[in-house]
Amino acid sequence: MRTPSDSDSALVGKGLHWRRALWLLTLGSLLIAPFLLTSAAQTQTGCPGESALFHPCAVARAKTFRPPRTVDGRPNMQGFWRGPASGTENVEEHPMTDDDNGGKSLIVDPADGKIPYQPWAAALQKENRAKYVEPNVPCFPSGVPRSMYVPTQIEILQSPVSVLILFERAHTYRIIPTSVRPHVGANIGLWMGDSRGRWEGSTLVVDVTNHSAKTWFDQVGNFHSTDAHMVERFTLVDSDTIHYQVNIVDPTVYTRPWTMAFPLRRNKEKGFRLLEEACHEGERNTDPLIRAGQRIYPGVAEKK
Amino acid sequence: MSASSLVGVLFAGTLLATSVSPTRVTGQTASPAGVYSPPRTAFGQPDLQGVWQVVNTAAWDVQDHSGQRFPGLPARFSVPAGQGVVEGNEIPYQPWALARKQENHNSRLTADPEARCYLPGVPRITYMPYPFQIFQFPDRVVILYEYLHATREIYTDGSRHPDIPVEFWLGDSRGRWEGNTLVVDVTLFTGETWFDRAGNFHSTDLHVVERYTRTGRDHMLYEVTIEDPKVFTRPWKIRMPLYRRQEQNVQLLEFECYAYAREGPDADAK
Repeated sequence: MRTPSDSDSALVGKGLHWRRALWLLTLGSLLIAPFLLTSAAQTQTGCPGESALFHPCAVARAKTFRPPRTVDGRPNMQGFWRGPASGTENVEEHPMTDDDNGGKSLIVDPADGKIPYQPWAAALQKENRAKYVEPNVPCFPSGVPRSMYVPTQIEILQSPVSVLILFERAHTYRIIPTSVRPHVGANIGLWMGDSRGRWEGSTLVVDVTNHSAKTWFDQVGNFHSTDAHMVERFTLVDSDTIHYQVNIVDPTVYTRPWTMAFPLRRNKEKGFRLLEEACHEGERNTDPLIRAGQRIYPGVAEKK
Repeated sequence: MSASSLVGVLFAGTLLATSVSPTRVTGQTASPAGVYSPPRTAFGQPDLQGVWQVVNTAAWDVQDHSGQRFPGLPARFSVPAGQGVVEGNEIPYQPWALARKQENHNSRLTADPEARCYLPGVPRITYMPYPFQIFQFPDRVVILYEYLHATREIYTDGSRHPDIPVEFWLGDSRGRWEGNTLVVDVTLFTGETWFDRAGNFHSTDLHVVERYTRTGRDHMLYEVTIEDPKVFTRPWKIRMPLYRRQEQNVQLLEFECYAYAREGPDADAK
């Protein structure tokens, strides 16, 4: 996959020895390859990865799986995780090409796996990729939900009053308070949105509003507006798999609500830690795109 | 590469947290703030959690400075006069380095890494004029910064700096508890960050020791020892209070510097 911002720019950090560091990590991974193979074998006994198959399987598993608990009694989701990297190419089904690895749709509702755009919005999506710099190229925050499947590592930490999600990608983070408090004022737009969490049984439910809407779902310009209201559901369905669902309501852009669902798989590499991805500091791809006539994506505001 | 160094490389690459060199922490005297007894977390550590921010002019200049026009900026964005945060006010530059600091100062409008929205290093990120939030876990302290959504994971599990040639804009942080104080040893810096907008700088040999000590319900003392034998003639110290943000609804929002750089008619190329 050729994704300048998602791979190359991390390697060209000016003054950083990233190539060296990643080379060391690659060498290091040879040592732990047997463990990775073991975990892959275990994963195959779990739910399959393809969203259309994973989602019903995970719903069924969640009914019987008893998750490990934190000291304060919440399902323990702490650790390192990865979402399906194909989503950042295109959340809908897409073929393997020179640029993409290809993948199935992450969308489980509607059943056809397509984003239910209004006609004007479907037309705009087709223009986006030609007109604008893909917002991840300049290392902008990936937003929600893209951060959950951007092809780098995710770390979840839980405290009694909040859940933190740290993303290696451009060192972004989400702070999800799980105490009751209202969202920030409606006129505050945030690249990562404003998250409020609550526990429903063994599921962490996160309400996300206040989107800047300057992010895309993927590299092909799939988008939402500042009107978007997302509800995410995180449920452990086995000790190494989180069933992640996000329902997206945005009457400015879509004809109906729609839902993505996919697995977050645990990274069990011993001693693994997030590294600083100084993405912007090494990024050299945006200026050539702007010189070639592309513009910075301005976002789509809610239609009042 | 010898067999033993190859093993070392593999080990370090796999377990980045592990190192074969001792953690470098210079001697520290007890803080005068040690009299306050802070509340404890559920797992028994002094509780430093919350949203904190400085109230000073160190972001402009860590030393004493007059109010002045900042070259290239409208008058309303001038530098406010300020009392410095450097102990004794002197930064003990070597002669060549003092000349370099002056060059930095003269070209600060564009030469400051902050002008390009780069991660500002440690301790500078602490006294940027934006809040940050501290979270504690049994094996680490996590500090999340509003500025550039920067993240620090400070491991307090006894692990050491990785012994590999890697550089981080925010360095590699390892912490430990000394009484009521969180002591953080930070190394493996790039040589590309500055201490302030006045051109104070360091090299890749920078070694920072931070000390965070609660001095009251809403106050914390932040003390830093700065060593860099390539640039300074001796270690030097800064200190300042951190203030707990009092707003009932306070939360970190965002300051996406490099996104703003691309916005509007003034958009600048990098």
